Amino acid sequence: MRPLAIASLYQGLPRIWWALLALVVIGVLLVPQFRTGSNIVNIFQQSATLAILSIGQAFVIAGGMIDLSVGQLVGLVTVVACMMFERFPDSVALVVAGCVLLGAAIGLVNGELINRLRMPPLILTFGMLSVLQGGIFLLTDRSVGQVAPPIAFLSNGTLLGVPVSLFLVAAVGLAAHYGLQRSVFGWHLLAMGNSAASARKAGLGLARLTRWSYLVSGLCAGIAALLVAGRLGTGFPNAGNGLELDAIVAVVLGGTPLKGGRVSVVGILGAVLFLGVMNNLLNLFQVPAFTQIVIKGLIVIVAILADRPARAARPA
Amino acid sequence: MSALTESALRANRLPSLEKAAVWIVLIVLLGLAGLASEAFFKFNYLANLLRQAAPVGITAVGVTFVMLLRGVDLSVGAIVSMSAVTCALVMNGLPGNLWIGVAAACACGAAVGLANGLVIAYGRVSPFIVTLGMSIVVYGIVQMGTGGTARGIVSPGFREVLNGRIGGVLPVLVVCLLAAVAIGIFVQSRLRFGRSVYLVGANPEAARLAGLPVERVTVAAYVVAGLFAALGGLALLARTGVSGTNPGAGMEFDVLAAVVLGGTTFAGGRGGVGGTFAGVMVLLIALNLANVAGLPYAAQLAIKGFIIIAASAAHSWIGSRGGGRNDE
Repeated sequence: MRPLAIASLYQGLPRIWWALLALVVIGVLLVPQFRTGSNIVNIFQQSATLAILSIGQAFVIAGGMIDLSVGQLVGLVTVVACMMFERFPDSVALVVAGCVLLGAAIGLVNGELINRLRMPPLILTFGMLSVLQGGIFLLTDRSVGQVAPPIAFLSNGTLLGVPVSLFLVAAVGLAAHYGLQRSVFGWHLLAMGNSAASARKAGLGLARLTRWSYLVSGLCAGIAALLVAGRLGTGFPNAGNGLELDAIVAVVLGGTPLKGGRVSVVGILGAVLFLGVMNNLLNLFQVPAFTQIVIKGLIVIVAILADRPARAARPA
Repeated sequence: MSALTESALRANRLPSLEKAAVWIVLIVLLGLAGLASEAFFKFNYLANLLRQAAPVGITAVGVTFVMLLRGVDLSVGAIVSMSAVTCALVMNGLPGNLWIGVAAACACGAAVGLANGLVIAYGRVSPFIVTLGMSIVVYGIVQMGTGGTARGIVSPGFREVLNGRIGGVLPVLVVCLLAAVAIGIFVQSRLRFGRSVYLVGANPEAARLAGLPVERVTVAAYVVAGLFAALGGLALLARTGVSGTNPGAGMEFDVLAAVVLGGTTFAGGRGGVGGTFAGVMVLLIALNLANVAGLPYAAQLAIKGFIIIAASAAHSWIGSRGGGRNDE
């Protein structure tokens, strides 16, 4: 990365990182178990799925669209992966490739349908959510199969004390940072998010941008599903329920407005960690489960309010 | 004013095929349903269908106003739960508490709507995230209230009246649904509030410059959405008779799909309650068709998805013939 890029990255450090810092300081000062190595490794491992899913969602949201189908897509790929791992224990790499391709293919179908049918993305992906949920339950109504050891290691293992999944997140994050914020494709996508009408008048191929951003979203869901399978050890049909909303929350907390036009992968990663650390702290403080839910909801509202001034200064 | 005259001109120029699109889809779907089973044209079946639609339909009327404002309300599912649970808890099986329970449920819904509206109008933040956060908060509060198990008993008389039939024929809930839709149409076309909602949704800046109280209209719209969601919760409670712990789970998406199908898009300023009603019926008939065909639950889910996609695609195709623009 060029020095200039690093400087601009520092200047534009999204606000969510300061909130994360505050949370971490609270944790370090007040909760002795928080700073243990195993707890920190745990936080990273738990956050990996959401990180990759949110990065995929960012591609869609940056262009002013949305993908509600990713949660159930994670569920479907988790189930399919575990069934295949059990049936073909010797060809793990092939199954992994197949699962990631399955995710990408369904993403491509989303994008193509939005292009061909000229539909609001929210409705189409909401319909796809239902279709995928039906697909999962046609396959199975209970946990099936077993995950392959390499995938379990990817989700739960550590290398030199660093969680393996962190390397994967770093790689995906770097690729996404480049793809969204440093490439022609990303600039065009952001232009489309700012104003689809202007982007079309400027001669950008909106259909191509739509197709590729949904493909990336599906691809990331496929990768995230493998991580989920590794954590659960088996193909649980409801594994992805509600994940799409978590991903959208992370993207928005990370400083990407829902109408698109602006995106920050660094911000999204900060938001994912923020949510992970908060979860962890609430558990360590032994807050009752229902109270935790209320607190999480309030934090979403407070965080979006706190993020407001930065947005007002740079009107989209 | 110019926004108003322009939209009036547009309405005069084009016999709005865009507005009729969802009704065309509904009629085609009804025709298909009739081919699949003759029962679809029997009064009893249609009345039952409408009764089934009451909770989602009543809730969707309120959400339509928010969507007309370029907003969205994802907290209505949680409000439906809150309303049903609160009502059952307050009633506690005593006939004397009937009206207190109903009033408490409505007050809860309006209060959550007020909170949504204040944060969105004065904080000027994304309604999607605010109402999503609010739905999590409300869900948590409901769970704290129930302790995770179904509690509270409905007063005698509540269910018997609301779930009954007038003269043994016309279900009361159908009347409630139609009344909610009629009130919604009256408000959107006759009241100052309704007209303001359209103007603010079409162009908030122009509305502000024209001296409309944009913030107050926004707050009022979210209160209306909360109130109608509470009424939807009462309708759901009347149908099931027990509150459960989270009876409205996921309902916000059915409502949202119905409103958007009905022609009230995220762009705001267009559409209305009439279309929403048709949208609710399209979704419900889609689900019923899959049910009548005797498909397993999994296949029903998949078909529901296909029909949502197909209906919306047909809708935007018909709409585009009428000169309506298609937003990406």
